[in-house]
Amino acid sequence: MMLLIIQGAILSLLIAAIVLWGAYFPYPSPLVRRWLSPGKRWPDSQIRLWLKNGKFQQAYLSYFYRDPERTPPLGNSILAPADGLVTSAEVRDGVRYLVIALSFWDMHVQRSPVSGSVVKVESKGKDYMDGEGRVFAFLRDKPCPVQKRVVFSTDVGEIAVRLITSLAARRIEIWVQEHEVIVRGQRIGRILLGSTVVLELPATISLNVQVGERVKAGETVVAREMSSA
Amino acid sequence: MNVFWWTSGHLGWGVFSLTVFTGIWWLFFDLCWRLLAIRIGRLLALMAIGWMLGIGCILFGFYLAS
Repeated sequence: MMLLIIQGAILSLLIAAIVLWGAYFPYPSPLVRRWLSPGKRWPDSQIRLWLKNGKFQQAYLSYFYRDPERTPPLGNSILAPADGLVTSAEVRDGVRYLVIALSFWDMHVQRSPVSGSVVKVESKGKDYMDGEGRVFAFLRDKPCPVQKRVVFSTDVGEIAVRLITSLAARRIEIWVQEHEVIVRGQRIGRILLGSTVVLELPATISLNVQVGERVKAGETVVAREMSSA
Repeated sequence: MNVFWWTSGHLGWGVFSLTVFTGIWWLFFDLCWRLLAIRIGRLLALMAIGWMLGIGCILFGFYLAS
C-alpha cells in the first residue's frame, strides 16, 4: 500500500509539472525558468502581451526594477549613461549623439556620465512612438517622443543625457534637480520599460565605443579622459 | 505481463518507470528546445532516438529482472 502511495505521489508531481508546462506554453513554465537567460525566460512576445493587458509577472517586474551597484573606473573619462546596445554615434551641428537602445531585459536605471552640475532638466515631446528614438532624438524643434533631457556643465562644455520613451516605455523618472552637483556614475533617473538613451557630447571628443557594442551604465568608458583643451 | 502492469498491490515497476521516464523526457525536451540553438527537426529526431533508447533500456532491464 505504501508503495502505491509513493508511486501515486510521484505520478501526481509529474502530471502537475506537465499541466503547468501546458498552461504556460509557448512560454516557459516556472519550473524551467531558472535555467534560462532573461531573454528566453520572458520572451519579447510575452512582454508585449503584458503591455497590452497591463498585467505583468511579478518575477519579471522584480527583475526589471533591479538597481545594482556600479563601480565607475578611476579617472575622469566619460561613462555610459545606460545599459544597452550602441546603435548610432552620429555627429550633427558639432554635437555627437551616442544612441543607446535599451531592451526589455536591460537594467533601466540611468547614471551620470560625468562629474559636474546639472544645468537644466528639460521635458520634450508629446507623443509616444517606436523606432528606438534614433531619428527622433535629432528633431529638436519637431514633434518627438516624450523625453527628458538632463544637461550637465563640465570642463569640456555641456554634456546632455536624453531619456526617451517608446510605445512601450511611457514613464521617465528623473532623480536629480537643477543646480545639483553630481559625481560620475551617480544615479540620475529611470525609464520604465525598454527605450532609448542618447548621450550628447561635443563632437571634438573621440569615442571609445563603436556601434554594435554593449555598454553598462556607470562602468563602460564611452570616451577617454576629459580635458579642458 | 501482469507483473508489468500491476504487482503486489501497487503499479508494476514496468509501466511506472515507462510513464515517469516519458514525462521527464517530455519536460527535458522542452528545456532543450529553449536552451539550445538547434533546428527543431534535428532536435525532434535526437529526442525521439533518446526516448526510444530509454524505453528500450527499461524494457530490457525489466525483461532481465523478470
